[in-house]
Amino acid sequence: MALLLGAALFLPLFPLSILLNALLTHLRHPLARCVLLLAWPQVGVTLLQSVPLPIPQAFVPWALLTSAFYALRLLTVRDLGLWAGFFASSAFALTWGLAVSTHAEGLRLFALWFSVPAALLALLAGPLAQRLGAAYAGLSGGLAGPLPRLAGVLAVIVFAAVATPPFPGFFALLGLLHQLAAPAAVAVLAIWLVWGWAAARLLQGFIFGAERPSAVGDIAQASALAYFGVLGAFTAAGLYLMGGGL
Amino acid sequence: MSLTLGRRLKIRAMVHVAGEPIPYFWPMRTFIHHNPLHGLEHLPFAQAVAQGERLFRARGYLPRAVRRRYLAQGKVEVAVLARQVEHFVARETPLAALDMQRLFFTLLTEHEEELGAAPALASARDVHAALAGQALPPAEFSSADLAQRIRAEMPAGRPLHALVDQLFGTEIGATLDELVIKSCLDFFDEGQSVWQMPGRERGLFAAWSALARHNLRLFIRGLHIKRILALDDTPEGIISHVMSELGVPEDHWTDYFTCELTRLHGWAGFIRWRAAAKHYHWSRSYPADLVDYLAIRLVLGLALLREHAQRKKTPANLPALQRFVGERPEEAYLRRELHGGHILPELAHAVEDAIAGRRQARLVRLLPEYLARKREREAMLYAGRLQRLAERAGLAHALAGLDADGIASLLVTLDRFHQAEGLMWLSAQEAHYMQQLLGGLNLAPRPAREKRPFAQVLFCIDVRSERIRRHLEKVGDYQTYGIAGFFGVPVGFIGLDKGSETQLCPVVVTPKNLVLELAIARNADDEAFVSVLEQVFHELKASVLSPFITVEAIGLLFGLDMFGKSLAPLTYNRWRSRLHPDKPDSRLLLDKLTREQADSIIRSLQRAMIVRAIGRELGIQREAITDEMIRELREAALGHGEGPTGLARQFGLEGSSEKKFIERLQRVYRVNRGYTQIQLERLGRIGFTLDEQVHFVSQALRSIGLTTDFSRFVLLAGHGSVSENNPYESALDCGACGGNHGIVNARVLAQMANKPAVRERLRAQGIAIADDTWFIPAFHNTTTDELRLHDLDLLPPSHLVYIERLSNGLQAASRLCAAERLPTLGFGEGQSRRADDPASAYRQARRNAMDWSQVRPEWGLSRNAAFVIGRRHATKRLNLEGRVFLHSYDHRCDPKGRLLENILSGPLVVGQWINMEHYFSTVDNDHYGSGSKVYHNIAGRFGVMTGNLSDLRTGLPSQTVLKDGAPYHEPLRLLTLIEAPFEHARQAIEGVANVRSLVYNGWVRVAVVDPDTYVVHVFEEGGWRQHALREAGAAIETEDIPL
Repeated sequence: MALLLGAALFLPLFPLSILLNALLTHLRHPLARCVLLLAWPQVGVTLLQSVPLPIPQAFVPWALLTSAFYALRLLTVRDLGLWAGFFASSAFALTWGLAVSTHAEGLRLFALWFSVPAALLALLAGPLAQRLGAAYAGLSGGLAGPLPRLAGVLAVIVFAAVATPPFPGFFALLGLLHQLAAPAAVAVLAIWLVWGWAAARLLQGFIFGAERPSAVGDIAQASALAYFGVLGAFTAAGLYLMGGGL
Repeated sequence: MSLTLGRRLKIRAMVHVAGEPIPYFWPMRTFIHHNPLHGLEHLPFAQAVAQGERLFRARGYLPRAVRRRYLAQGKVEVAVLARQVEHFVARETPLAALDMQRLFFTLLTEHEEELGAAPALASARDVHAALAGQALPPAEFSSADLAQRIRAEMPAGRPLHALVDQLFGTEIGATLDELVIKSCLDFFDEGQSVWQMPGRERGLFAAWSALARHNLRLFIRGLHIKRILALDDTPEGIISHVMSELGVPEDHWTDYFTCELTRLHGWAGFIRWRAAAKHYHWSRSYPADLVDYLAIRLVLGLALLREHAQRKKTPANLPALQRFVGERPEEAYLRRELHGGHILPELAHAVEDAIAGRRQARLVRLLPEYLARKREREAMLYAGRLQRLAERAGLAHALAGLDADGIASLLVTLDRFHQAEGLMWLSAQEAHYMQQLLGGLNLAPRPAREKRPFAQVLFCIDVRSERIRRHLEKVGDYQTYGIAGFFGVPVGFIGLDKGSETQLCPVVVTPKNLVLELAIARNADDEAFVSVLEQVFHELKASVLSPFITVEAIGLLFGLDMFGKSLAPLTYNRWRSRLHPDKPDSRLLLDKLTREQADSIIRSLQRAMIVRAIGRELGIQREAITDEMIRELREAALGHGEGPTGLARQFGLEGSSEKKFIERLQRVYRVNRGYTQIQLERLGRIGFTLDEQVHFVSQALRSIGLTTDFSRFVLLAGHGSVSENNPYESALDCGACGGNHGIVNARVLAQMANKPAVRERLRAQGIAIADDTWFIPAFHNTTTDELRLHDLDLLPPSHLVYIERLSNGLQAASRLCAAERLPTLGFGEGQSRRADDPASAYRQARRNAMDWSQVRPEWGLSRNAAFVIGRRHATKRLNLEGRVFLHSYDHRCDPKGRLLENILSGPLVVGQWINMEHYFSTVDNDHYGSGSKVYHNIAGRFGVMTGNLSDLRTGLPSQTVLKDGAPYHEPLRLLTLIEAPFEHARQAIEGVANVRSLVYNGWVRVAVVDPDTYVVHVFEEGGWRQHALREAGAAIETEDIPL
């Protein structure tokens, strides 16, 4: 049980999820947030894999409720760093859906497919805050005009996060839907829908809208290429590692 | 409960006054260029622009960065700019240690960084401390001070929903706009919707309120419209009740109404125009005015405010809002910062979190930290910018030497300078263009000709005519003239198969005379199969269910159409046009009808109606009755006859049946005395008397100075444009013809001028038109540059031998014009076919006109800059790049100045509207223009919206005035150049009140050039200033000689 509770802390289930989000709020540095988001679910998966007994089915509705709760929170939060944390909380909780049916290596990858874009979003909050004072949606809309590279990177990472094809999250969620019973699968689909809605709101707040005159410069071409390179590798890895999974 | 009549009238008057700043919006079918600030033209230009910025939230001048690009291109008169700065500085409090002239001139011309608005929170002492590198002096902001700051942004007339939105982040204003737009789309639809709104004939408010009472969607949203509508039946009563409910003091109602109406100024402008357009079919059928519209806005607004008050505990009226600000200023201030877009980004989350948590104590704790950080940020930022500016100007030491009071004074001056600099740049750029134009004039007398020109061509004054006139003059012995495109003849026109009248004249004129177009020979069988098929397709597409089947059944046909239009527009459209029958030759019914003719027409119409009535009502066929029976029935219906008619006797009708039939004739078939009188009056409008015809021809010829030396051919070239898939097509047509093609007016004047009786009378007036002179109407297609002659079948045989030469000349000019124009549209860059090859360019221009994906078929009147009233000889040697309206005028033909007054009051005013439309659409395309065409959708067949729901887009699209995001049109006020003695021109200007007002208020710039003395009088800074031209063609001298 202790292992299960430990796993529920790292693959966060409400209210244990408060810890992850409190840490993310406390850690201001984007890099620290990035590392935390990458490492945190892997600890959870390690703990989960150490649990000797079959995982009780009751964890599935708990995980789905947690995921739905954080998905709805995404609709209201405007700080990009916190958005990444809430998104991670919502996505990591879904790992439990997979865990009740399999103890395979797939768990570790499932968590990875969502933690990488969440970590990249947390990282991107740095250059945004540097230029705009804060990575806060709706304060300085219309970034597509003056900061096209930054806006492009942000859009693509958000797409990757909310599991749009061809990013690995999409295939991971399809795999999860195969594993779940129909009611749970419907719940996951609803959560997925809310992610899409939240993503649209986030992008609306940063990228579209009236352009404000700004003297700040865009991110360097090399930085943009680095982000896209990571995303490309991420996508390729997803296609390679999950190609046979479906 | 109803208001008294006096009260209702008072509210109507308030709404009327409130709507005055809103410009009319004409339906897109007849796009009228107009000044978006027309309602503010009684104010000086700068004041009106400032007022426009407040009312329409729009910018009035180009940003400094763009003006600086013009400066780099040499389009700004630097000396004038420096003088403007000097005048400004002279009016300000001097700062002994600081050379303000140098500082401001550097700010304008050299310094890249924007200073931005003056700090809101940081004081001059703070900026001074920041400049000195010292800690900011302590400062405290009391609750009263915070409340005062918020109240400063709550002027009395500002709508309550806007204030609530600003403090609570609600989106009541946006929701209200959306609901109002939907209601307007329902009511004002002109045939686009398949299902029409019921009860529209009762008027906007009545129809809307009947529906809104039962609108389930509004009810589900929590909007209890019914309760509000129960208060009164009239829109005036509703307005009064809602305003009282909102707690707005009555003294501020007019301002409040103005703010409400300007929120969707496109819709308000359309309704305002529609209410005044008594001849407009849709307006007569479905009446609406601003009172109706405002009542709907207020009802919905109140319902939304109440719903938010219930759900989110926001204030529902003005006193409650003021109480909130007074009682909780800290929260109100932070709310205003967050929702008003002023928040410090790094504290945004903390502030939003505290507000969302409704934790008053936390807000009070957060506020001092917020104020301190914001104040410091503002002071540091502004001080840094000021420091860098001073360093750039070499005045860093002087700036450092200023004390806190000096900085305070500088901040105030800088603020005023920001408000004034737009006009400085504008004046300097205008001065440059004026010098260029004046310097190129040829004021020498025209050399005498040995023989008359081959042809004389009268073009519209439109700037697009300048290019083709120049090329026509180059290719042959052509003499060209400029005249307003309606040729001075205001015409109400009913075309072939048209049931309604089109007014072909400037919108400021109402035509008295009506012209009918009649086909020479028409065969009903000519109604092409394709036309019928098109009608069927249209019906199938428009109905509710049939599109589902239509797409499956005949979708492929539409696909073929799409491929044809996209891949080979020119060939495809040529092929497609062959499917339609040619328009039959026609004549214009131009002469006045005599009383006998009119009586005869009415008699025959009434007889036809009676025959139809007998058939329908009595089932008796025409062959069973005689003309005499019909005559008797007509007399009886008109009240002239008594006793049984022949029809009654023949068919045994009883007295009562006969009486009933005659009553139906009078009532249903309108064979009665009253309607006969109306018909007579209508027929009385048809045509022109001989005196009128002589007057119009004489006036047209005299106004351009063409009274002698007539050529064999005098071409009257009306103009228009042809493009595909372009809601703005009529914006490219002739403004002087009310946004229509000018060919009808050309045909009318030509027909008049070719009449021997007219010529005889003209000869008596001293206008001797040669016997062999023939006036030919022509059409100048400005999209393709084609010049096409009309009514050639009327040409005397003796002239036919010259037609080929004429046609060749016109075509050569068209091709050359296309070659000059196409590169400006971006053709020829990186293409194998050269756009400067006349034949290729001409073909490309025609393709352009047929291309349905083309968002910019032509530049239209973009880049217009000046209006020259004078002899063509004065400008003939100049390449004016299609930027100048050219009105021919010879003051020697107009000793009393009446013709000049006519030119000023008509064509110049239309030119100024066009110029201002382009000006404002360029400086702020989002607000005064209509944004990108790419996102436009047709609304109700009379306007366009951006996306599926927006305000009606007024003004010009970005594709008309911008190129690659930067202005293509150079926004300048219209420079009006009059070639005439100064006193002659001045009297004419003074004689036309609205032109005088435009000149004195700086809406147009005027220069009067005396061709005899070479002296120029320019109206600037409130008075006439005299300049001297050294000699014809030389640059203007710079010294001013004040009068």
